[in-house]
Parts: sequence; C-alpha cells; structure tokens
Amino acid sequence: MKKISIDPITRLEGHGKIEILLDEEGDVANAYLQIPELRGFERFAEGRPVEEMPRIVTRICGV
Amino acid sequence: MTKARFPVSKSNLPVWKRILSRQRTHRDLPSLEIEHEGGKMAKLKLALYWAASCGGCDVAVLDVNEKILDIANIADIVFWPIAMDFKYHDVEAMKDDSIDVCLFNGAVRNSEQEKIANLLRKKSKVMVAFGSCACFGGIPALGNFWDRTTIFERAYIEAPSNDNQARTFPQTEIKLDGVELELPQFYDTVSTLAQVVPVEYFVPGCPPPVDLILKVVDALATSQLPPIGSVIASEKSLCDECDRVKEDKKITKIYRPHEIIPDPKRCLLEQGIICLGPATRGGCGARCIKVNMPCRGCFGPPAGVVDQGAKMLSALASIYDVDDEREIARMVEEVVDPAGTFYRFGMSSSLLKRRRMQT
Repeated sequence: MKKISIDPITRLEGHGKIEILLDEEGDVANAYLQIPELRGFERFAEGRPVEEMPRIVTRICGV
Repeated sequence: MTKARFPVSKSNLPVWKRILSRQRTHRDLPSLEIEHEGGKMAKLKLALYWAASCGGCDVAVLDVNEKILDIANIADIVFWPIAMDFKYHDVEAMKDDSIDVCLFNGAVRNSEQEKIANLLRKKSKVMVAFGSCACFGGIPALGNFWDRTTIFERAYIEAPSNDNQARTFPQTEIKLDGVELELPQFYDTVSTLAQVVPVEYFVPGCPPPVDLILKVVDALATSQLPPIGSVIASEKSLCDECDRVKEDKKITKIYRPHEIIPDPKRCLLEQGIICLGPATRGGCGARCIKVNMPCRGCFGPPAGVVDQGAKMLSALASIYDVDDEREIARMVEEVVDPAGTFYRFGMSSSLLKRRRMQT
C-alpha cells in the first residue's frame, strides 16, 4: 500500500502529521492524523497554587 | 560582487553553562557570510521552528508589527511551520550550513524534537535558542517533576474527560493495514536546546519581548554579532531595571495574592510577595512588575548565577526577619510551592534538572 506523508502539517497552531494510505488503484484507502506532541500540563499543573494557574496554563497555547 | 565577512567570536560559554547544559564540543563554525551584490546585501536565510512550545514565541516574532517588513528585507524565511508550507523533507534536502540563522523555540520533550534540533543544527550556521523553553526548559520542563509513565497515566487514563478502559497509550510504532505508522518517543526528561545541540545565542523570555527580537534582527542586519554564548538581554538582575521603591528588605510573612493588596509603588518582595527579580536576568523591561504581578523568572538566571532556584532561595532566606525556629518553620511553610515557583521556567537548566527517577 502506498503511503503519502504530510509532515509536518503547517500554518496552524500545534504539531501534527497526516499519513494517507492509497490502494492499488491509487484511491485513498485510509488516512491517519497523528499528533506527535504532548507536554503534560494535565500532570505538571497538579499541586501548584491556584493563583499561579493563569500564568502556567496560558502556555498551553500562545497563539 | 563583494563579500562582507562577519567574524563570529570563538569565546567559549561560561563554565557553568557548559556543565549544566552538557554542552558538546562546539564545532568550528564558519563566520556568517552575507554576499553583497551591486552594493545590495543578499538576503539571509532564516528558519524558525517550534519544539515543545506554545507558539507564543512565533507570535512574538509577528508582534514586531510593521518591522516584520524590515525582517523581510534582510531575510528569506526557508522554514517556519506556523506560517509557511515547508516540510521536513525540504529542510533535509538543503545543503549543510545553508541556513544562516535558525531561531529555535521550544524545549526538547520527545525524539522528533531532538531529531529536528539536530537537523536544523546541521543545516544552520547560527543556532539561536529563542525563548525560555529553548533556553531553560520553560513551562514544559515542570514535567521534570514527573516522568513519562506518570504523565501518560494522567493524560490518557486519569484525566476526567478520558474513557480509556483498554488503557491505550501512544505507541512509537504500530502496523496498520500492513503499513508502519510512527510517533515520536516521549522522553522522561525535558531538555534545553543546548543540552541537545551546540547553540550560539540565547534569547530568553516567555516570550522574548519585541525590543530584544529587534536587537537580534539588527545584529544580523548590521553584522554586529555578539560573542558565541551570549544571552541577548541584560547582564544585570531584573531588580536593577525595576523602578519600584526598594527600602528595607525584611519580611516576617509570605503573602499569597488573596491575603494582601500590594502597594503598586513598593518592591513586591519587601511586601512579602515572592518575586523572582533578584534571581532573574533583566531585559524584559519589568513587564510583569509594571502590572503588579511578581516576576516568575522567565529570563533565567542573571549573568554569573549557576542555579536560579538556589539563588532565589538564598535571596529569600536572607530577608527573613525572624529568629525563632518555629517562626522560621512557619515562614518556610508559607512558600506554598517552592520547587514550582523557584524553578518555574528553569527546571531543565537547573543543577537538579529533574526529580530523581523512581525506578
């Protein structure tokens, strides 16, 4: 099966890539959107004072 | 055709920075050469990349507003995922050292970011760690208090929005329909850019302020490149540029925001509000302080300071005006989150770098 990779996806906020799988006829058989990024705010914001959250979670997305 | 040569000083990084960043031997860099054609300077080739970051650094580049035209006058952008449609294979196809300057923002959290850092290093004459994440680890480096297993557990199992009874986690390799799909490997530890590849310059800030970005652009445009290893900011601490009234630094209580209305003219630390000014490099124009917010240290340690958190601990301890042991213990307890406060932006570049792995 032929594979077309779009890596990275551009002109958007964040990281991503797309893998498109083509069948024998060259038609799209399947496609996968992959997000190759995690920073872990869910974990590392834990235990921090609530008043500090506005200045931590704003760094989830600065766009 | 004439060539203007811009010698890049070979002066080394300070010892502490080499030790902390486990700086690899700096390769012998060619001087940045810009060709002049008919008196007109040929354009620089500029690349921008984001690793473990929020995109705020990329937006900060746009915050120069109309000055972006000046940047466009001196530079052609050859790679910038947020704004232009170049792919990794376009960069791979470039000749080594064909990019003049790479502004790299974001920390190194996974194997893809490490791979692209190495790729861009190979293709770039000058590598700039742009922003606090690339310089010190930044906010993502708070993840160094945990590791891959505990972060995955929270993000993919425990988080309330999940329904993941099969306990599915991201796989670095998986075969679907006979085709291999890959995801980067998520590391236990977040690294700074300089811990991964040699870096020429450091532009701190979360994000770097416009005037410093323009200073970088000016340096490139006029060929006034500072010595290798330079941090493009002030050499002094933030307190030096903070115009609040500083009188007597003696405190008997640490206040949280809901416990005090701060005097907007007086030093925040003197009022018992933790402000990282004494342990932070200046150059930001005290932008947080000016809106009555204490500094959290995004510019990293001042020149000559090894460990920002340790410096802040030392600064804070020296102004505790209590003698009784129980009173001291109380004031220590009043600092709610010492590690996350003193190492808010600098965990990766700190002496400790991370919490000890629980293995």
